[in-house]
Amino acid sequence: MKKMNAGTRLERVVAAGHFALTVEIGPPRGANPESVLKKAALLKGLADGYNVTDNQTAVVRMSSIASAKILLDAGLEPVMQMTCRDRNRIAIQSDLLGASAFGIKNCLCLSGDHQKASAAGKLKGHPGAKNVFDIDSVQLLAVLKGLRDEAVQEGGDSVDQAVPFFIGAAWTPLSPPLEFRVHRLAKKAAAGADFIQTQAVYDIAAFARQVAKAREMGLTDRVAVLGGVIVPRSAKMLQYMNQSVPGVTVPDQIVKRMADAPSPKQEGIRIAVELIQAMREIKGLKGVHLQAIEAEEILPEIIKAAGLSPRPSV
Amino acid sequence: MIIAEWKPIPELVSMLKGHKSVLLVGCATCVAECAAGGEREVETLAPLLRMALKTEGVSVEIKRKTIERQCEWEFVEALAGEIEEVDAVLSIACGIGVQALSERFAHLPVYPGVNTTSLAIREQPGLWTARCAACGDCVLGETFGLCPVARCAKSLMNGPCGGTRHNGMCEVDENVECVWNLIYERAKARGELQKLYEVRRAKNWSNSAHGGPKRMLREDLRP
Amino acid sequence: MSAVEKQGEYQPEIVVLYCRNCLTPGIDPPSGVLAAGGIVAKYVPMPCSSKVEPSHLMKILERGADGVEVVGCPDGQCGFLDGNRRADKRVTRLRSLLAEIKLGEERLCMNRGTRLTSEALFALAQKRARAVAGLGPNPMKGVNR
Ligand code: SF4
Ligand code: SF4
Repeated sequence: MKKMNAGTRLERVVAAGHFALTVEIGPPRGANPESVLKKAALLKGLADGYNVTDNQTAVVRMSSIASAKILLDAGLEPVMQMTCRDRNRIAIQSDLLGASAFGIKNCLCLSGDHQKASAAGKLKGHPGAKNVFDIDSVQLLAVLKGLRDEAVQEGGDSVDQAVPFFIGAAWTPLSPPLEFRVHRLAKKAAAGADFIQTQAVYDIAAFARQVAKAREMGLTDRVAVLGGVIVPRSAKMLQYMNQSVPGVTVPDQIVKRMADAPSPKQEGIRIAVELIQAMREIKGLKGVHLQAIEAEEILPEIIKAAGLSPRPSV
Repeated sequence: MIIAEWKPIPELVSMLKGHKSVLLVGCATCVAECAAGGEREVETLAPLLRMALKTEGVSVEIKRKTIERQCEWEFVEALAGEIEEVDAVLSIACGIGVQALSERFAHLPVYPGVNTTSLAIREQPGLWTARCAACGDCVLGETFGLCPVARCAKSLMNGPCGGTRHNGMCEVDENVECVWNLIYERAKARGELQKLYEVRRAKNWSNSAHGGPKRMLREDLRP
Repeated sequence: MSAVEKQGEYQPEIVVLYCRNCLTPGIDPPSGVLAAGGIVAKYVPMPCSSKVEPSHLMKILERGADGVEVVGCPDGQCGFLDGNRRADKRVTRLRSLLAEIKLGEERLCMNRGTRLTSEALFALAQKRARAVAGLGPNPMKGVNR
């Protein structure tokens, strides 16, 4: 078996050739750890990694580092998300060192949603905030790789010891310009990504074509690509995602199935299970990243129905 | 050019309240091109201000003058006579012009009448769009002449985020084209897509405002 | 008309800037001042409604006119392609500025017409006078510049 980068469960599962599963635990809009712990109790043992978002959609929430630490203490292995929107390279590296000191070893590198997104929904958000974007997600990957492989900071100074990270990145395979997307993946792999979580996919055929291209370029051997699945909750939600969520296309027949279903909840679960099973058939794909937005309680059922439970021991 | 837009008139009124006589100064260069601070705008804003002040029940005399460039001392000097007769100045030039006036006539308050927003081009009549953010480390040579610093909402350096809309617009503003999509299209048209495949390392921002206030010195041009 | 009459002495002064091409061919273009029916209409003929400059419109109001009526040709019938539409857009912007300074957006308006008689033009002035009646006289009246 090849040398481990950080030796996290997620890394070991992928290395052992198992179909990996990550889920998401969104931090609360407050300082109370209770909601994180509740979700942790619900999902413990069911996945190989638990994504903790970093002020997703630019809405202020408990920090991803603190939330990740809470999960770690509760016995779940976090995938800490880190964006470039709010911190420059100094703060990012400092936070990475701090996170590592806490024992956090999976990190997903993102550019981050623009602060305007914080006011797009029902909240006031902070659209008047100044953003940072000192570096972008690809450059962030390189920063982590430098800290890990060379024990060196972005500016060239050394750190006292290598900082072990299993480095992740996002991929939106179906956004335009479509032909470029696989090269964007290649750049992320070249910059340092070990694993990839994709944007939610509903159009399996189109997704499979993009993964096939990545495979032809040898990318699926270099990075472990986990396909994104968001459990549908209603036809309306799917229509919204189709129209407004970047890089998401929802085929009409899936929308129709949700619209016609006597129980949208059960249909959503069925569709999620089918998507996971379809992804297992895509050559080169190493797992799934499963999300049920603000409905984590339905995840255990889906995970079992998809045959992803129990998780392998590695 | 440097582009700017009028501040809300009530904000101007609250600045001018309490003054007796104010000189409204336009600039016939960039801000005239972007229809915010040229002579036409002086001639429109002056009556609006007089009416606004009147409806607020305050009386402030508004004098008007437009000079060629507020960012050059020779032109600024031409205001010396008029300045004698007022107790405040309202400049509708960019922030540089406002500061030149307040430096030259430091005994008076010089208020900004506009918000200076960006370095832009008049893309179409009545439409100005950002082109440069004065980053001090120009990458246009590698991005096919399209600036990702000023024109990508996230100043990305390595290609489009996942948010490019299906119609090629930016996820942050549906009225703005995703510049990375444009860069891709141009690279493709030139047959040089491989140039976009290289990972671009973290940028050096120190030659811009991030490096502290810019100071450019050319010994050969100094007296 | 009642609102205007109630003002007693006050006769709203309405400046009518109109495009000559809006008139019935052959009639004499009204110009000068017409005081009738409790209002004072001041006519300014123009070769095209697009000749209205924002600064000019603001100056008219600054000098105390109670209302300004811009009259242009119907959509698609401008002799200068889209002069009337450009005038319309300028008026729209200025109206929002007039609202911003609380002078009242109704003090300025653009209407479209074709084959207008002088009576029709006067009726537009009266319409503007009714629209500004609630605002009272322009506070700039009598202010020395
Ligand atoms: S790369 Fe920098 S200098 Fe060049 S156009 Fe963009 S912001 Fe301006
Ligand atoms: S959609 Fe394009 S322009 Fe907008 S933030 Fe993303 S990469 Fe930048």
